[in-house]
Amino acid sequence: MNPNDSDASRFRPATADRRGERDLDDLLVHVARGDQGAFETLYDRMVGPVYGVIRKVLRDPSQSEEVAQEVLLEVWRTAARFDPAMGGAATWVTTIAHRRAIDRIRSTTAAADREHRTADVSPPHDEVAEAVEASLDRERVRRCLEGLTEVQRESITLAYYGGNSYRQVAELLHVTLGAIKTRIRDGLIRMRDCLGVS
Amino acid sequence: MRFFRQDLHTLTGAYALDALDSASEITRFNRHLSRCQSCASEVRGFREVATAMACAATTEAPAAMRERVMAAAARTRQLPPEIRTHARPRRTRSSAPWIPWLSGAIATAAIAVAVFFGFAQSHTQNELNQARSQNQALAAAQSRVEAELTQAKEHDQALAQILGAPHVTLLSQRTTKGGVAVVVLDAATRKLVVATSGLPALPAGKVYQLWLIGPVKIVSAGLLPTAQAGVTTPVVATGIVKGDKLGLTVEPAPGSKQPTTTPILALPLPV
Repeated sequence: MNPNDSDASRFRPATADRRGERDLDDLLVHVARGDQGAFETLYDRMVGPVYGVIRKVLRDPSQSEEVAQEVLLEVWRTAARFDPAMGGAATWVTTIAHRRAIDRIRSTTAAADREHRTADVSPPHDEVAEAVEASLDRERVRRCLEGLTEVQRESITLAYYGGNSYRQVAELLHVTLGAIKTRIRDGLIRMRDCLGVS
Repeated sequence: MRFFRQDLHTLTGAYALDALDSASEITRFNRHLSRCQSCASEVRGFREVATAMACAATTEAPAAMRERVMAAAARTRQLPPEIRTHARPRRTRSSAPWIPWLSGAIATAAIAVAVFFGFAQSHTQNELNQARSQNQALAAAQSRVEAELTQAKEHDQALAQILGAPHVTLLSQRTTKGGVAVVVLDAATRKLVVATSGLPALPAGKVYQLWLIGPVKIVSAGLLPTAQAGVTTPVVATGIVKGDKLGLTVEPAPGSKQPTTTPILALPLPV
């Protein structure tokens, strides 16, 4: 394990890392200088979470692949704009991935289709056996989600994995807008404490 | 006003999960974040929670994707770092946390261009290989595919030239019918690349036509290709003159000499 306690190491995804314990933030700095080898390593480490979170939101494999490609290329292209003061590299990359998935559903998918897709919030089946670390992440997140109230948990998963806006979540759960905002925020505070995020 | 602020503050959670409703709400919240230190640090913590959730969703990606991304990266120019001219840390829109949504969308323009072009090219290449492997493939069919490939390559060069130009301008604008047009403009050579995303599908017999709308005359800049998964492959337009706007109209197929409907987009082109 990496003794470095940045979010990059705590949330380090599972895929094989040919450069050992090289820190993600450091990799991104090299990517920004046009180092293609560093980009390949970064790709291997981040493609699982990037593709995974996009799949969660979009469901459709070919659309997810398309968006994931755009995201990873955007990481290459905008690496120089990464600011470690704003958070770790893993957070930067997964934030771009999630936003692009959301952009895609908010701009191109019909509302009815979207509701159909997001009605099911169960985790997708594993298509391939996953590395140990990813399942540790999964276990930790699952445990922390279980520590929430039902409405908090539903609000967070419908919003993040389901790609619903808080207004849509309020509609789905028959709760007022004010209540949804508070429940998402309170739930995230609990999650943050449970996951040991500083 | 106080109530309003309080109300905004509770949006930190929804914001961190990208669950705000509209671009205007995001803009408003970004502005709030630039003034509210405690909100910004709360959002940072929540983003880490979101990161853990993303990692928990880790899924094996299709293997072929890697090669495509690497190939696209090899021909994609990287953005230079932002030079900070002020020594004191400023919290302005440009240094707002994370990539602001709009500029992100704009950055995607060039990326979409590169990725989609990669797709088009690899498909044509596959077709060519297939045609070659089949002995009975007619020479005529093969030469047709080869012609397409050559065309694709020429198109690629035009794209690569613009995308590799030292000072491109990235523009994007929503159309009045929804969807976004994204433009990479090379003012020096007066060329641009345009791709669109999320335009409404058209009934049969109608096409989207691009125009360079100048102060003196309007020139056709070609038709938009049919969208795939909501996105159109990039189109190159040349010969832009000062005062031109990029226009988009719905026209009867196969296009018109001059626009016959009200433009759904009129994007000023700074050349």
